[in-house]
Amino acid sequence: MMKFMLFLPLVLAMSCANHKPKTGLADIEIDIDVQEVKLENGLTVLMVENPKLPIFSLYMFYKVGGKNEHPGITGASHFLEHMMFKGAKKYGPGIIDFTIEGSGGSTNAYTTNDLTVYYENLPSSQLDIMLDIEADRMENLLLKPDDFEKERSVVLEERKMRYENSPRGQLFMQMMAEVFKGTPYGTSVIGNIPDLKSVSREQIFAYFKKFYAPNNVTMVIVGDIKSSKTRKMIEEKFGKIASSPSVQGEHDSLTPAMFKSELVKDREVHLKGATPQPMFMMSYPSYAHGHPKSYALDILGSVLGDGDSSFLKKRYVLVKKPMASSIYAGNYTLEKSGVFFLGGELVKGVKLAEFKKTVQSELALACESEITEHAIMKVKNNYLLDVYKGLDTNAGLASFLGERHTFYGDYKAYKEELAIYAAIGVGDVKAVCQELVKEPSLFITVWEKNKN
Amino acid sequence: MKKILYLLFMFSLPVMANTEWVDSVKRMKWGELDVVWIRDEKFPKYTWSLVFKDGALSDEKGLEGQTHFALDFLTAGTKKYNQNELNDFFEFYGVSTKTSVTHEYSSISVTGLVKDADIIMERVCHLLDEANYPSNEVKSLLSREQSKIKSIVTSHAALADRVFRQESLSTTPFSSPAEGTLKSIQKLKTDNLMSRLASLKNSPKTLYITGPKDVLSIEKTIAKCGWKTVEKEALKKLSLNDSGKVGRIILVPVPEANQAQIRLGRYLTEHEFAGKNDLYNFVSSYLGGGFTSKLIQEIRVKRGLTYSAGAYASVQGVYGRAGITTFSKNETVAETIEVIKNILTEIKDKGIAQKEYEHQLGHLVGGYAFQFEQSEAFLSQVFMYDLQGRPLTELASFPEKIKSITPSELAAGVGELFQWDRQVIVVVGSKSLEKSLKKIAPVTIVDYKKYL
Repeated sequence: MMKFMLFLPLVLAMSCANHKPKTGLADIEIDIDVQEVKLENGLTVLMVENPKLPIFSLYMFYKVGGKNEHPGITGASHFLEHMMFKGAKKYGPGIIDFTIEGSGGSTNAYTTNDLTVYYENLPSSQLDIMLDIEADRMENLLLKPDDFEKERSVVLEERKMRYENSPRGQLFMQMMAEVFKGTPYGTSVIGNIPDLKSVSREQIFAYFKKFYAPNNVTMVIVGDIKSSKTRKMIEEKFGKIASSPSVQGEHDSLTPAMFKSELVKDREVHLKGATPQPMFMMSYPSYAHGHPKSYALDILGSVLGDGDSSFLKKRYVLVKKPMASSIYAGNYTLEKSGVFFLGGELVKGVKLAEFKKTVQSELALACESEITEHAIMKVKNNYLLDVYKGLDTNAGLASFLGERHTFYGDYKAYKEELAIYAAIGVGDVKAVCQELVKEPSLFITVWEKNKN
Repeated sequence: MKKILYLLFMFSLPVMANTEWVDSVKRMKWGELDVVWIRDEKFPKYTWSLVFKDGALSDEKGLEGQTHFALDFLTAGTKKYNQNELNDFFEFYGVSTKTSVTHEYSSISVTGLVKDADIIMERVCHLLDEANYPSNEVKSLLSREQSKIKSIVTSHAALADRVFRQESLSTTPFSSPAEGTLKSIQKLKTDNLMSRLASLKNSPKTLYITGPKDVLSIEKTIAKCGWKTVEKEALKKLSLNDSGKVGRIILVPVPEANQAQIRLGRYLTEHEFAGKNDLYNFVSSYLGGGFTSKLIQEIRVKRGLTYSAGAYASVQGVYGRAGITTFSKNETVAETIEVIKNILTEIKDKGIAQKEYEHQLGHLVGGYAFQFEQSEAFLSQVFMYDLQGRPLTELASFPEKIKSITPSELAAGVGELFQWDRQVIVVVGSKSLEKSLKKIAPVTIVDYKKYL
């Protein structure tokens, strides 16, 4: 997860209605009134009451994603995500979507290397039925064979749309495969084509039984609810669902050593794709969620690549003779590892080899010249505004709390996270930058002139 | 320093009725400037949009994109500050800025922290007064824009949207993209941008604001800006004159496409949608709003022909467009178009089943409260109502108005918007599709470069 890109809501402040508060990152403390409950079967529930509108958001964070798959069933988590909308014992085929949307709600889901997340936004009158649906599909998913086959085609079309036909998608998927080659993050989340074509209903069902259990979920509800009443509903609907005896063993089997990147020397990969000018990514193995250096790398990513006043934009795009038409940088933090990257698209006539050499040498110099108090304060100011923006919706807050709880085991980890960002100084960011540029990198490109 | 403590939702207001939301919109006059304010004390942040009642229709002939770039390049430089200094100024304060130009109106939007609102507005005034578009910067920025347009071929969906706009509006003054074409961009110079900005800033303006009361302090800053208003002639009403391309398929070949993007629809004149906004809203929701919409159910769920499908019927001031958007793999593109045709014809001939009608009614009415969850989104709604000359009481009575539409009126609405022999159909995909498409309609092949 890229913290600076995905950071979501936290707070509400009526106390500042009549004055202009000092709102530097270090001056703020956030307190969210969360009711936390853990059922006997291991289901964790976080609830926040917000009576402003008669609506609520429900997020289900299942701790299962691409890293839990193995050759032969790559894409299983994502395929299962699709099938979770295809009906369960009580709420049969088509009924889940029709129930949610027919009452004015919306629903969707996403799958990452670490998680599969389902979310719904609904009028508060629908809380009881929505909890009933989530309990039903956690316990009694149908996986009907004909629906399974239809959805296989849909997933293959989605794969084409997001990756095969998109140079950016192509670049990102191959970058992850190369940087994390040989690790559980090296498989594509959407799945390899042969696996998607051959995976059986039985394999997906076994995968479901292992990972879709109350002791592998964090449920977050934010909105016009009453916590005590909601708790009773949850106990009644989910309390009887058995926990998975094997899921903890599955998580424990993924040891930190398995995630160590095998990228030990500089590598280049060139892909053929439908882009008239070359697109590139330069990537370095990075750190997992919660690692002290990952926070400084987040800030480094923003200093280098966020906005028109960032180093990369000023140096390669907004100049008299630009080398790139677009450029970006970021730190993608996962549960067990991470990757720091730069990326962009070159302008006509600029040679890839020349560009790579220039960036590598100038990046080393930028570690010294570009990381200033001013640049870091700018990142923190942007971060603060992002925090406020994220606070606007029930869904944003639910997502924020759920991510913290899933990755750190405690939703309150955001307090420490804010304090760490606030305390990071020039020296910290310079140190990670200097370390980074000495590391081996992957230079990956996509271009119509590359050979197959 | 003592930290500011934010307590989530502790001071949330109780649920408000529909009319109370609408009543919370305050209208003011600051000198010649019309101001609309939605009070939102949740966070110490604000958003404002300065909307000019003048857009790309005022571009000089052959200089399409003039208005778009006059706003987009505001930070290219002034006598006092260069481009880097201006970019750094806004980004240091964490401010996000956005400019938007349609044919009918233009806007600058800013989101920032309340404590910085005055200094930010002061700098925006400075830009509107003194932007001088240094030729070096303009040349470099335009070269970047040209690269972006050229690389649109790598995004088949974006290319399809661009082609569809030009073809569906080909008999109107709105067909050219507001952001210009490769040919028109090449001609743009500093003087063109300066003259356009001079006329734009004197056009009638409205400032839409959301945020705490403190943000109204920008009134004093604006008073010093010296903005003038010169009334503009109202846009002429469009007469009904369908595109000459109806009844055939425009196939735009792109290299290495294993899927094809499909767009179909037509433009709407003001007299068509007058008084029918809510009906057409209902139609687009019924056909393409959400996973349970008619198109998704028929094309994706029942037949597995696509991953996504959508429909819209959107209007600005004097024109609008109705359209259907989807894609499919090469083997099933013709089948998908046939299926859409049959669905639309069947609705027109046989009407809409009561169950489907009730479902969509529940979807629209039940989801009404979500329009007020984010004040920025509510503000956008208010702006669109103003642009269309509709009183906000219509927004307050939206659920009742939707409930008053009968199933036969809804079916008639589908027929009005999507009468098959009036649709412009665009397919962006492999040239090999010509053979299968010819079986359903005459095909005209057009090089994608014509639309750049």
